[in-house]
Amino acid sequence: MTAAGPVALDVRGLSKHFGGVRAVDDCSFIAPKGKVTGLIGPNGAGKSTAIDLISGFKLPDAGSVVFEGKALQGLSPHRISRLGLIRTFQTPREWRELTVLENVVLARWDESRETFWRGVLGLRQAGREATLSELSEARGILQEFGLIALRNERAGNLSGGQKRLVEFARIRMAKPQLVILDEPMGGVNPVLGERMALAIEGFITAGTSVIVVEHNLPFIERVTDHVVVMSQGSVIANGPFESLRSNQAVVDAYLGEMPTYEQPGA
Amino acid sequence: MTAAILSLSAVAFTLEYAVTNVANLSHGEILTVGAYAALVVHQRTGSALAAALAAAAAGGLLALAMHAAVVDRFIRRGTPTLVIFIATLGLSFVIQNLLVIRFGAANVAYTIPSGAPFELGPFLWTAVDLEIIVSALAITAVLYLIISHTKFGKALRAVSQNRELARVSGINADVVASATWFLAGLVAGYAGFILAESVGTFNPSFGFGFFLITLTAAVAGGLGRAFSTMVGAIIVGIALEFVGGYVSAGYNLAFAFAILAVVILVRPRGLFVNARRSVFE
Amino acid sequence: MTQYLVSVLTEGAIFGIMALGLNVIWGWSGDFDLAYYGYVALGAYMTLVLTIGRQPPPVQYILGLELPYPVAVLLAVASAMALALVIGLIALRHLRGIYFSIVTLGAVYVLYAMAGQFVPLFNGYQGLSGLINPMADALGIDFNSYQYFFLGLAIAVFLLVYFFMSRVSSSRFGLALRSLREDERAAAAFGRDIYRLKLKAYVLGAGLGGLGGALFAAYLSAFNTSAWAPLETVVLYAAILVGGRGNIRGVVLGVLIVYVLIEESTRFLPEIPGHPGIVLALRPIVIGAALVLFLRFRPQGLLPERHYVDRVQPAAAEANAP
Repeated sequence: MTAAGPVALDVRGLSKHFGGVRAVDDCSFIAPKGKVTGLIGPNGAGKSTAIDLISGFKLPDAGSVVFEGKALQGLSPHRISRLGLIRTFQTPREWRELTVLENVVLARWDESRETFWRGVLGLRQAGREATLSELSEARGILQEFGLIALRNERAGNLSGGQKRLVEFARIRMAKPQLVILDEPMGGVNPVLGERMALAIEGFITAGTSVIVVEHNLPFIERVTDHVVVMSQGSVIANGPFESLRSNQAVVDAYLGEMPTYEQPGA
Repeated sequence: MTAAILSLSAVAFTLEYAVTNVANLSHGEILTVGAYAALVVHQRTGSALAAALAAAAAGGLLALAMHAAVVDRFIRRGTPTLVIFIATLGLSFVIQNLLVIRFGAANVAYTIPSGAPFELGPFLWTAVDLEIIVSALAITAVLYLIISHTKFGKALRAVSQNRELARVSGINADVVASATWFLAGLVAGYAGFILAESVGTFNPSFGFGFFLITLTAAVAGGLGRAFSTMVGAIIVGIALEFVGGYVSAGYNLAFAFAILAVVILVRPRGLFVNARRSVFE
Repeated sequence: MTQYLVSVLTEGAIFGIMALGLNVIWGWSGDFDLAYYGYVALGAYMTLVLTIGRQPPPVQYILGLELPYPVAVLLAVASAMALALVIGLIALRHLRGIYFSIVTLGAVYVLYAMAGQFVPLFNGYQGLSGLINPMADALGIDFNSYQYFFLGLAIAVFLLVYFFMSRVSSSRFGLALRSLREDERAAAAFGRDIYRLKLKAYVLGAGLGGLGGALFAAYLSAFNTSAWAPLETVVLYAAILVGGRGNIRGVVLGVLIVYVLIEESTRFLPEIPGHPGIVLALRPIVIGAALVLFLRFRPQGLLPERHYVDRVQPAAAEANAP
């Protein structure tokens, strides 16, 4: 681990076995604060399971996860989310029947405004200002992502790419300290790649560190500062993307098929 | 004996679930229709064998119709399985009350002279008891052979594991699903016949009451898995007989559900694990 | 005719309260709860045992207090909520989809068996009776005008519930519940405590069920196992579905259609000689068929759920459209 400077996420010795299969096996890595960390590896390397373990959706058999100095083991997903670590999923998980605007507004969790009693008895005037400022913030974010015209649309009606953008907009609204993006380019027209890359830069500007899991290596090369390579449940290499090209273990894991950004498919 | 009838009904229910992922809440009505078909045919022909065949045939046709007219139409539209589950509950209302219109809501008697009881081992048996147990065992054996040793059984298992994958590997999943429902209907219709025989009277809601116990047994054993379901059914069936269910039948169901609640609660599959158990063993 | 209209409207208001409660659980939180009518029944039974006092043997039941009706109603609602809390704590922890439904179905049948078989609880199949025109004496209402008073009471309670539900519907709490219905993993990823939220919705809905039951008990002045069936819930589901799941106006419309239109229209069909019970059987057939057909062809119901429509036009909205 050569990462210097402040650390957003410190994963150590994370393990998870399913029956006899070691899905994640003694996995350790660091995601630096204010940077984009790529998490790559061949299919079945355990990347998605690792995300589930970090975000509390699955319980690890062993290992520790420290996020901004706080230990996350044993916390349930909503607690981890409330601490400022938000993850996305391989498929976009929009709230289908809700509108795009509702999807974005609801991304911000605010317990004091969400209780039942506030809903029933809360003075209309008191809640109103907060609601209005939240709405205009959400509108601003949608505008930035080019979704403003769709704000009243049912989220389930959007295209795959638009759903990904809504997900990004939700994260901007939630303002976490760290976001883990699970295959953000999955099912997205590659033409949108640059737009997604800019959105990821936008997260960093807004103070959100990023971990991105992706199969699209040109995209990883474009957006990341630092890459962690997993294979068979463990981390086999890490460093800047450039340095990995010559790493024999990485090349072996990918069976030597590592395309470059400049010459895809060469 | 409850165990034998229960295991037939539960296996049929679990087969329906296996190929469609739909828990059929109108399954009980297949038993009821089987019982009424048996009664009508028995009165006309005087033959118990004809009655048994009629019960199975009616059950098979009803299940086929349920699948074709309701379940499959929802599946084709990609409807969530919970919605189809709700629709089958509506279907149960419809069928039960059509039977009320045709046959009346009152109990009808269905008694077959069962001959003098004889002793075998520690229990007293009648000819009907023996017939029920022997036929249930025979049907179970045939089902086992079909599921594990025929080409159709292989296709059935493939569809139950992954319908899409089965389709791309050249299996006509729609035909397999229809045929499985037909097969399940035959078994459930026959189960309705032997249940009517053993109870002696029935009415249009008779199948639904038994279905609730069937559901318990199937879920406790493992929904969608034919042989685990059978084991669950036998355990629940025997437990019910030992609890003295015949004395206070009202508690029967409560007891069955207590078993189910314990089974489900001691085997939690985790908050975010999909509650569907689709693997067919 | 007036009497008839009064009874239809009273029943409509009571079933409206029950349906609005079930809508919280199914319409918003998204759980297909089959135990719901158990909370209605418990509300009714509790209201009776808290108001009718002791009766001579062989009649037996718990409590046997003589509390004023409004106090009994509050306690009946509280006991329905307590039962829902217990069942919800168990069933909502890990179970979803059909597994949740099956366990709640089991729970309501256990309750039904207890009510019918375990005599010391609510006097078994005989049930309870004797709650005649509660509050009539205290308020000095005579026998003939009591039905109008009770109609007014039922409608007032209904309107209060409707008002509360409209607040909940448009609140952040209501929106958060809907997010659970749509995708609970995403809801958890964005900070929602799914278990707590679902439990709150479940207990709230059951409380309204208990309230409906408490009014129903006073309306019938008695309650026993032939006054309810565990699957009565299905009729409430049909009402919600037909009217519009998640939309409280739709739910009320559904109650009008399913309870008032279907129930009352079949009441006037002539009996067919030699076939008693046909008309009675038609009702569930129509309701069952409506359930299937609406799920298939119009799952959003007659009045689909309403969502916030943002009409503010940001300056560059059109220019930026994709």
